[in-house]
Amino acid sequence: MVLVVAVSDYLTGIEISVTLLYLVPICWCAWFAGRGVGVFIATVSAGAWLGAEWLERWSTIQPWVVFWNTLMMGGIFVVVATLLATLKATQANLEATVARRTTKLVAEVTVRRRTEGKLRLANTELQRTQMQLIEAAKMEAVGRMAAGVAHEVKNPLMTLGMGVDYFLQRPISDADDASLLHDMKHAVLRGTKIINLMLDFSKPRPLQPSPEDLNAIVENALGLVRHQLLKHRIEVVRQLQAGLPMLSLDHTHMEHVLVNLFTNAVHAMSDGGTLTVRSSLQAATDTSIVLEPHVILVVEDTGPGIPQEQLPNIFEPFHTTKPPGQGTGLGLAIVHRIIQIHGGSVTLGNRPEGGARATLTFNLQPKPHP
Amino acid sequence: MTKHRILIIDDDASITRGVRRNLVATGAYEVRQENHALVAVQSAREFMPDLILLDVMMPEMDGGAVAARLREDPLLKDIPIIFLTAIVSNEETHGSEAYIGDEEYLAKPVDLNILIRVIEGHLEG
Repeated sequence: MVLVVAVSDYLTGIEISVTLLYLVPICWCAWFAGRGVGVFIATVSAGAWLGAEWLERWSTIQPWVVFWNTLMMGGIFVVVATLLATLKATQANLEATVARRTTKLVAEVTVRRRTEGKLRLANTELQRTQMQLIEAAKMEAVGRMAAGVAHEVKNPLMTLGMGVDYFLQRPISDADDASLLHDMKHAVLRGTKIINLMLDFSKPRPLQPSPEDLNAIVENALGLVRHQLLKHRIEVVRQLQAGLPMLSLDHTHMEHVLVNLFTNAVHAMSDGGTLTVRSSLQAATDTSIVLEPHVILVVEDTGPGIPQEQLPNIFEPFHTTKPPGQGTGLGLAIVHRIIQIHGGSVTLGNRPEGGARATLTFNLQPKPHP
Repeated sequence: MTKHRILIIDDDASITRGVRRNLVATGAYEVRQENHALVAVQSAREFMPDLILLDVMMPEMDGGAVAARLREDPLLKDIPIIFLTAIVSNEETHGSEAYIGDEEYLAKPVDLNILIRVIEGHLEG
């Protein structure tokens, strides 16, 4: 009761404003300075101010009122300052804790991301190795099979060939007989070609790599199919980047690959079209599997493209998109094999605007393939 | 005109018959065929060919072993041998790689014109 009377008596009129005027900066001091220093500043400030008040009012006001006023105000300042300082300290603690945990979390996330990246790379490498092992095992089986098939098929072909050759050396009066013999000879040659392709696929000639200008090989290969391109009225668009780095390539193998791709393009555009050949050097990127600078060669045609359902098996041996009897089904398998043993990769797909697109990727530092 | 003597050794009688027929038909060759590798050396000693056409894959003894025995024989060691093999592609027999040791080889099925050209190349050389 006495406290209420004293406070109400003291905090009247202009006194309230004056009190707040002092209280605010003191509280600010306490807030910013921290708990211990804040309480000290608040106490000293309140004491000094109230001391001055006490001295000024001593002569006019009852001493007990001044005493109570002093006590109350001092108490209020101390309590408020203590509360504020406590709040500030608590906030600072919280902020420090949050900052500490955030730092720890960021560090953990960074480590986790790094680990995930390494795991992804290791997984990719593992998958690649697994694929290579499967591929090697498959190739070994195909090789054995090819040698067996070659032996069993080429011997009868030789018998047929020798027989046909014998009769072709004789005078043949009937044109139909001659035509029949030539058809037989053609069949022997075709069978031989397929078996030879199968042997080449299963046991490609060892690589003889040397520093090669990819653009020059492109030009050579285009020269080899020039007659076909002219015959089918196919326009060739060259977008070959000048100054490409030399690549470690087997010239003959690569020419074989490109002739194969160009021939496929010609077959897809038998009524004319555009063959585009594009080469470029791509910088290293972390968004693709290829992490090193690499050279890209793109071969595009404006034919009907490849049926979507055939794309997954397009590089499988004996898979062909051509009509029966017109393709061996080994061309793209050989392309795939040759690019693989060069340490590169090849993908085949369709262009959004129509036509097929083959993309060959070569690392500047090729990784040998088994 | 003296005919060159050619011995063809292959376990497949239809092949030896076909080759013999074709070579004899040219009028330039006398040909003997042998379908058993185990008696190939004996056959060569009897026939004394100017050139031997030798299959690589034979069930009784492979062409390499037959060639080794021929080379061990003082009478036969200088007779040129041309291997015939089915397990290489015909493209592989072009150029300088088409040799098994010192012997030339041809991929089956052999084109008659190529066979005659290679035989003549050896006999004239």
